[in-house]
Amino acid sequence: MAREHRIALDHDLCMGNGQCILLAPGVFRHNENRQSEVTDPAAAPGETVLQAAIYCPTGAISVVDALTGEVLFP
Amino acid sequence: MASSPTAAAADPEDLFAPEVIADPYAYFGRLRETDPIHWNPRAELWVVTRYEDVVWLVRYHELFSSAVIKTDRRPPHPPIDPEDAPLFEQVRAFRSDQLVENDRPPHQSMRNAVHEYFTPQAMESWRSFVRAAVTELLDEAEPDGRMDVLEALAAPLPVRVITQMMGVPEEDREHLRHLADRLLYINRGEPDRMRHLMEGIRGMIEYVSPKVDERTAAPSDDFISVLARAEKEGVFTRHQVLVNTALLLFAGHETTMNLICNGTLAFLRHPDQWERLRADPAGASRLAVEECLRYDPPVKSTQRIAAEDVERRGKTIRKGDRIRWFMAAANRDPRAFEDPDRFDIGRQPNPHVSFGAGIHYCLGASLARIEGQEVFRALAERLDSLRLESEELEYAPSIQFRSLTSLPVAWA
Repeated sequence: MAREHRIALDHDLCMGNGQCILLAPGVFRHNENRQSEVTDPAAAPGETVLQAAIYCPTGAISVVDALTGEVLFP
Repeated sequence: MASSPTAAAADPEDLFAPEVIADPYAYFGRLRETDPIHWNPRAELWVVTRYEDVVWLVRYHELFSSAVIKTDRRPPHPPIDPEDAPLFEQVRAFRSDQLVENDRPPHQSMRNAVHEYFTPQAMESWRSFVRAAVTELLDEAEPDGRMDVLEALAAPLPVRVITQMMGVPEEDREHLRHLADRLLYINRGEPDRMRHLMEGIRGMIEYVSPKVDERTAAPSDDFISVLARAEKEGVFTRHQVLVNTALLLFAGHETTMNLICNGTLAFLRHPDQWERLRADPAGASRLAVEECLRYDPPVKSTQRIAAEDVERRGKTIRKGDRIRWFMAAANRDPRAFEDPDRFDIGRQPNPHVSFGAGIHYCLGASLARIEGQEVFRALAERLDSLRLESEELEYAPSIQFRSLTSLPVAWA
C-alpha cells in the first residue's frame, strides 16, 4: 500500500514568520496565535510545500507518514 | 543625556557604558532574569529581553508599530551638532519611507512587491557569485599571512554582492563603496554623523534616480527593475524606490560585516568548534551559521513604538512608548535554549531571533545565510591555522549593532 503523507507543523518551533505563507499561500495560513497552520494537512506535498519545509527558519515544517508519524521530509 | 565618562560608568541604566558595549550578554542577561520588561529612564525606553516576550511582541505588530522614526518626536540620541537639526529632519523624512519603517497595510503590499526577489530559492542562484567573491578576496589576502577580517573580507563582500544585485557596472563600484561607507553613519553616535549620512543619502538619490528611469523604460533582472515595476504598479512612490534601494545597500552591509566578524571570533575563541567545522566545512557550515547568528548576533536589538496601551507581566506600556527588544538576550534565554552560553555549531533546532520574527522577518536572511556559509566554509578550507592576532578588540558604541571595529587574524 502506498504511504499516506501528512504536512506537519510543530507549533513549539513555529515563530510565526510567515515565510511558508509567502511560499505556499494556499497551503499555510496564520492561526489566531499568529503562528502558521496547515489549511489541508492531507494535501499532496507539492514543490512549494517542500520549499517551505526546507527553508522554514526554525525547521517547524515537515512531511510525515500519516500512519506512523515518521518524518519523510526534509 | 550627555555626562562625564565617570558619571556614565556609575549609572546602571547607561546602555552605552563601556562594560555594556563590551559584554551585552552579562548586562541584558541579568535584566532578562530579574526584570524582563524593564523601563530604562535614561534612554526613555522599555528593554525587553525574554525570548517568549520578544516573539510575542513582534507577532502583535498592530500593537507595536515599526514606524518609529516617523512617530517618535524625541531628539536624536546620542545628541547631534545643533546646527545639523535640519539635516536630521531630512534624514527622518528619508528613512520614514523605508519598507522596515512601515506598518500594515502598506508594508504588506511593499513587501509582496519585493518578496519574489528574495525567496530562498532566488537567493540560492547568488551562491556562485558569493563564492567567487570570497575566493577573490581571500586570494588577495592569503599571501600576506594576516589580515583584518573586517577590512579584507567582511566589509567588501556584502557591498560587492549588493551592487551586483543593483546592476551597478564595474566602473561605478568604487563610487558606490564610498556611498555605502557614508550610509554606515546611520548607526553611529558621532555628533557630526548627520552630515556624513546625508552625503550618502544625496549621493544615492543622484546615482539611482536616472537608473530607475532606465529600468522603467527597459527592465532587466536587477533589484532596481523590481522596484521600478512596483512604482509602475502604484505600490511604491518614486521617493520610496530611491529610499529602498539605499535601504538594500545599508541593511545588508553592517549586518553581514558583523555576522562574518562575530562568527569568525566565536570560532577563534572555541578551537573545538573550529576543528569541528574544519572536519567538514561544506557539510557543517549551514548549522554553524545559525549558531554564529544566535551566539553573537549582528544586531543586538531593534525598536518598536507602542500603538496603544499594552499590559504585560504587570507592567503598562503606554501608547507612544519606545520599546527595544534584545535578540542578544533572547538568544541566550535558558527557557528557549539548552546550555545557551555554549557555542555549539551542531545545535538543532536553533530558533534564534537574530533575523527578527513575524511580518518584519529579515528580507535578506537567505542572502546573509549564504554569505556566512560561504565565508566560514572558505576560511575553514583555506586557513586552517587561523588565530587571533590581538586580544584588544573593540566594539562600536551602538545600542543596536554588535560591530567589531577590527578583527586582526593571522595564519602563517
